[in-house]
Amino acid sequence: MTPYTKKEVLLRVEDVSLSYDRVCVLQDINFSVHDIVRPGLQQGQVVSLVGRSGIGKTQLFRLLSGLQKPATGSITIRERMPVERGNGVIDLYRERVVQPGDMGVIFQNYYQLGWRTVRQSLLLAARQNRLLSGKEEDAIRQYTLQFDVADVLQRYPAQLSGGQQQRVSIIQQLLKGSDFLLLDEPFSGLDVCVLDKVVELLLQVSMSDELKTLIVVSHDIATAVTISDTVFILGKKPGLEGSTIVREIDLMERGLAWQREVRQEKAFVETVREIRECL
Amino acid sequence: MPPALKKLNMFSPFERLNRQTILILITSQAGLTLLIWQLSGGGLIPRPSAVLEALGHLLTTRLFFDNLLASLLLTGQALLYSVLITLVFGYASVIPFFQPVAQFIVKCRYLTLTGLIFIFTLLTKDGGQLKLSLLLFGIVPFLTTSFLSVIGHTPAQEFELCQTLGYNRWQSLYEVIIVGKADQVFEVVRQNFAIAWMMITMVEGLNMSEGGIGALMIKYNKYNDLPHVLALQSVILGIGLCFDYLLGVLRHWLFPYTKR
Repeated sequence: MTPYTKKEVLLRVEDVSLSYDRVCVLQDINFSVHDIVRPGLQQGQVVSLVGRSGIGKTQLFRLLSGLQKPATGSITIRERMPVERGNGVIDLYRERVVQPGDMGVIFQNYYQLGWRTVRQSLLLAARQNRLLSGKEEDAIRQYTLQFDVADVLQRYPAQLSGGQQQRVSIIQQLLKGSDFLLLDEPFSGLDVCVLDKVVELLLQVSMSDELKTLIVVSHDIATAVTISDTVFILGKKPGLEGSTIVREIDLMERGLAWQREVRQEKAFVETVREIRECL
Repeated sequence: MPPALKKLNMFSPFERLNRQTILILITSQAGLTLLIWQLSGGGLIPRPSAVLEALGHLLTTRLFFDNLLASLLLTGQALLYSVLITLVFGYASVIPFFQPVAQFIVKCRYLTLTGLIFIFTLLTKDGGQLKLSLLLFGIVPFLTTSFLSVIGHTPAQEFELCQTLGYNRWQSLYEVIIVGKADQVFEVVRQNFAIAWMMITMVEGLNMSEGGIGALMIKYNKYNDLPHVLALQSVILGIGLCFDYLLGVLRHWLFPYTKR
């Protein structure tokens, strides 16, 4: 098994609950995401939130993104603040409540501003990132080549295929420079070939920075297990009205994380079955 | 399926016809209407041939072109001011403080112009200003209603995407409403041009100083010269359709993403 250590908490969700019209949707949500360090590697984090349809995954997604506030509890992130010191830039950290804009969000339908060309959309995002100041065009060129969308820069979102829209959405949020990337059902409606590409793409993103943290909300258990280092299962617990995290599965511990051919492993099949039984 | 039967698809709900078929349909139905009108006309209602003759006569007179130009200039001026007023109140309506004003303007569409002529006469200096203010009062509530509806139907995801990109509320307002809805503002103006163009004849009828196509029409109406009245109506319709088409072309040119 690849050696690894869990370091600081990057995201902490504490006692979160949410109600709609006095109906409790989410209750007692508690989990945290740690910085995973692998010697000699730039290893980001990939966690999945899985659950049945209608269990409240999208609501939890919105809470994590900061677009909605929880009725109770808190969601905090470890914020990196690059500061210029002497002849270089050093990173300082602080923990604070998540706000809209802290997390890069990729919506299920890869929503884009329909009146902006791909280049304009990416430029708008890049301009929000102070670290890219003056180098926006270079960053766009680099990412679009890497993600194979350099030839669609002058097109509008409606002129792109679903796969291209997804890649543009990811690039947009990467350019914005957030350490956290939140993805709502990124595997939904993809055929097998495209699915493999998306998985590869997300793994590539997760390894682009030590603190890059991908939070994937999905009901596709097998793909979630393939891509993640940790899986959180959202479900129902006896005595609780709302949905909650019923189980945390550490895939690193089971030797299932960071393996390209993990689907061939016996432990993978057993883990998928275990998760399915939990739902 | 034989071609003859294929053509019957035009009676099938939601059937999509090609441009050529649509053109044939429009031409044949318009031709048939004119034929029925020509054959059944007589008495007080002039036949199409008489209307065509009157139109020919109008096109040879300077009076017609002077009046038409006066109407077009007044409509253009009124539309320009109306758009500016609508945009100011429309954009301001997303700020809660200005919402009551915007909503009041929307409700003003239930007021009639006739009842306000005297008040506007007192408030304005001359006939030109009176007509312009009446037109503004007539157009702005409809434009504002349409524009507020566009703003109201903005998908929440557009704002949320801006939020996730770290935009503040003012930046989101600029991106989603001012830039993002510019094409729809244009479409709203295009749709409401019809209202402005329809009102011009009414306003020119209420105040006949400085002439205009409406004043000209009232003059012909007074002498029961129906061929000339209908000829003027056809000119009004034709110009309306031309502007509608031109504004549509301009919209696609200015906002290429609106092309489907």
